[in-house]
Amino acid sequence: MLTINSLSKSFDKGRSFALKDVSFNLGKGDVCAIVGESGSGKTTLVRLIAGLERPDHGTIELAGEMVSSLKKLVAPEKRKIGLVFQEYALFPHLTLLQNVLYGISKLKDKLNRAKEVLDLVGLKGMEDRYPHQLSGGQQQRVALARALAPNPALLILDEPFSNLDAMLRKQLRNQVFEIIKKTGVTAIFVTHDTQDALSVADEILILQSGKVVQKDEAANLYIKPNSVYVASLFGNTIQLNKALQSAFECPLNANCCHAIRNESLTINSECEYVTHAQVLKKTFLGDNIQLMLKLDNGEQLTVLTKERNIEDKIMIGFNSKDVLEFTS
Amino acid sequence: MRQAGNNSDIFSLKYRLRRLQRDSNKWSIFTLAIVLFLALPVISIGVKLLDGPGETWSHIVDHLLIDYIGNSLFLVFACSVLVLLFGISSAWFVSRFEFPFREQMEWLLILPLAIPSYIVAYAYAGIFDYGGSMDLLFRWIGLDFIRIDIMNKSGLAFILSVSLFPYVYVSARAFFLNQASNLLEASKMLGVGELKSFFNLMLPLARPAIIAGLILVLMEVLNDYGAAQYYGVNTFTTGIFRAWFSLEEPETAVYLSALLIIIVFALILFEKWQRRKKKFSPLKSNDIYTHRKLISTWPRTGIFIAVLFPVLLGFFLPVSQLIYWAYLTYSKVFNPDFLMLSLQSFGIAILTAAVTVFFATLLIYFSKWSFLGFIRNLARMGILGYAIPGAVIAIGIMIPTLAFDKWLINMLDYFFNIQSGFLIHGTLVALVYAYCVRFLAVAFNPIESTALKVNSSIPDSSKMLGVGNLRTFMKIELPLIKTGLLSAFILVFIDVLKELPLTLILKPFDVNTLAVKAFEYASDEMVMEASIPSLFIIFTAALPVIFLNKLLIKK
Repeated sequence: MLTINSLSKSFDKGRSFALKDVSFNLGKGDVCAIVGESGSGKTTLVRLIAGLERPDHGTIELAGEMVSSLKKLVAPEKRKIGLVFQEYALFPHLTLLQNVLYGISKLKDKLNRAKEVLDLVGLKGMEDRYPHQLSGGQQQRVALARALAPNPALLILDEPFSNLDAMLRKQLRNQVFEIIKKTGVTAIFVTHDTQDALSVADEILILQSGKVVQKDEAANLYIKPNSVYVASLFGNTIQLNKALQSAFECPLNANCCHAIRNESLTINSECEYVTHAQVLKKTFLGDNIQLMLKLDNGEQLTVLTKERNIEDKIMIGFNSKDVLEFTS
Repeated sequence: MRQAGNNSDIFSLKYRLRRLQRDSNKWSIFTLAIVLFLALPVISIGVKLLDGPGETWSHIVDHLLIDYIGNSLFLVFACSVLVLLFGISSAWFVSRFEFPFREQMEWLLILPLAIPSYIVAYAYAGIFDYGGSMDLLFRWIGLDFIRIDIMNKSGLAFILSVSLFPYVYVSARAFFLNQASNLLEASKMLGVGELKSFFNLMLPLARPAIIAGLILVLMEVLNDYGAAQYYGVNTFTTGIFRAWFSLEEPETAVYLSALLIIIVFALILFEKWQRRKKKFSPLKSNDIYTHRKLISTWPRTGIFIAVLFPVLLGFFLPVSQLIYWAYLTYSKVFNPDFLMLSLQSFGIAILTAAVTVFFATLLIYFSKWSFLGFIRNLARMGILGYAIPGAVIAIGIMIPTLAFDKWLINMLDYFFNIQSGFLIHGTLVALVYAYCVRFLAVAFNPIESTALKVNSSIPDSSKMLGVGNLRTFMKIELPLIKTGLLSAFILVFIDVLKELPLTLILKPFDVNTLAVKAFEYASDEMVMEASIPSLFIIFTAALPVIFLNKLLIKK
């Protein structure tokens, strides 16, 4: 459906790359999340796919057609891609219905199609309102309806929930992806929030400083991250350096990097590798308590626990099956 | 996965050229065409330089050039001092202090811009002349009239300063209103007093804005013809006129023009350089209210007088003189011919404003739709016409249009046996073209600033919905930038109405404008009669000045 090959883009003539040598495939009907910190190049990547930026190198194929290469660039208006912008970008001088009709003006059955998508996003009866009369969540859904109306081959959502508050965000996230699943459209979803990505995407692609770090199914990514960076994106991770390895007396392969998720640590229970620790400081964080520990060999370690009754001396440990191993 | 190990040569010349080929579109070419069209006058002056100077050039270099340079430099320095004094002090007072009629003063201070400086010059000549208003006033009081001779270069510097200081006032006030409030509060919290805060903090910070305003003033000073000519001061502009009309030596006029262009571009480069050196990122002000200082009665009255003074000099005094003259001469001047002339003048201004707004909009959007960075930079070169004095642009337009017309006449005669007159030269087409070159920036800036307020994701999302550039512009962007287009139209309209030197050179024989009429009266020793066309220009220009300022304050 979407094939991207060694895509590169620099905004300063090659001194630094916003995107470097990115390649991946996307199957029809897939929902793929692109995750990365701000500045990782995720917006550049979707703008290149959409045709709003021009790549310096590499190719993009969409539905079997070459849309972007060094020889040829298909204009964004001819790519049949729906894009929902971070700031929604509704046309302020047009009503809700006019906004949705905008992309399907050549369709015979346009009025019915517009009503259909508005119904889909649950905004029936608000056709004559103007964007400024809508709430943030409603604007978001209009933007989605407008992008879906022309039946795009690919739908891109760029940070769709970043302008919404936390409560609304969860609610809308589920609604939006129910709608997307219902229409069966292939979708790319850009976010910096890994929770968003894990909850809705079939596949997740991780970008770090313009490069693809890992691309896999959501569950695999969690279980088998290929780097400390990826592991740390999906929860608190503790890197097992030499000093920690000696404290826990767990000899690990010296050629690899190792880490352990915070949640795999056990307190005061039997497991393969254990050590005694002195609690230096307890910080109450609501659902968790943060402990600053001093291990037997003097090494300091900060962990989170749900355990409420923590004494000053504890035993902390983990099992070998939970150790994450990275070759790089 | 194919490994692209060739990332290192992505930016080799070969790759760059291939991308250049891919990324150049019709919009790049259209942008280039418009910029060339706008740059043609300067280019033709450059080309014409190769023909060598005229016979009198060496005479001019030996005897007059020193005078031209000396006078122009004197005007530049003297006007700088005066406009900075008037402009900065009034901007500081209205944005920092509360005093009687402050709100009215804020827009009254802009009004001097409604009067072209040559008209201010006529009015002041009348005020200080023998038997003029001052003379009458002194005699009425019973005092001896001490005559001040104003018709010299110092007088000219005074005239230009009182009519042009609002450029500095506007840019300084904008800075003080938008930026000053928070910073001043911080400065006060650190225990620094008002005066010290002003000199140590605000003035250095406002410097880039103030100098930008000052450069506009200096360009107008170098552009002036009417006032310098009336006061008998030899400047570059009057020199160009003399070379063209009296000596009938286009080559000499071209050489003087080229020199003037160099001076102007030196000013622009200086402005760019001073801004680069001190690039202060503007602070986002959360606080839109400026807390003005309340002060006791005497200083308050003092500030009121200090602010009123430049308005009196730049607007009320000259306008009163003109109204008095108009009262004396209206029966003679006001006739159907004059009405026709006014309509013609307004018609030309409306036509030019429409054409200029059109080209400015094309330039902004075509360059936006071009994907090439250097094309976008080039588009900004297209607006440099505002810096080039009107007389120079007129000469630069004459050369190619004359050549083109001669070529066309020959062609028509040769191929079709048609005898034709000049088609562009000496017609309205050449005049409107020249106005467009000179005033494109006047339209460009307001349109661009409203266009920038439209978030780029709005046209982008239109494109993602399958709508191309032109239709996106018509359906989405045009409705959203209407106010920018309107203010651009009004501003160009006013500037065309006031314009003198370029109009004098390029206007068709049978066409006249209010500005030219006023100039003709004044040159024919009928300066009193010049008051009526002058007042027409002033009142037409004053209305939008007030209107635009209201818009400015609302924002």
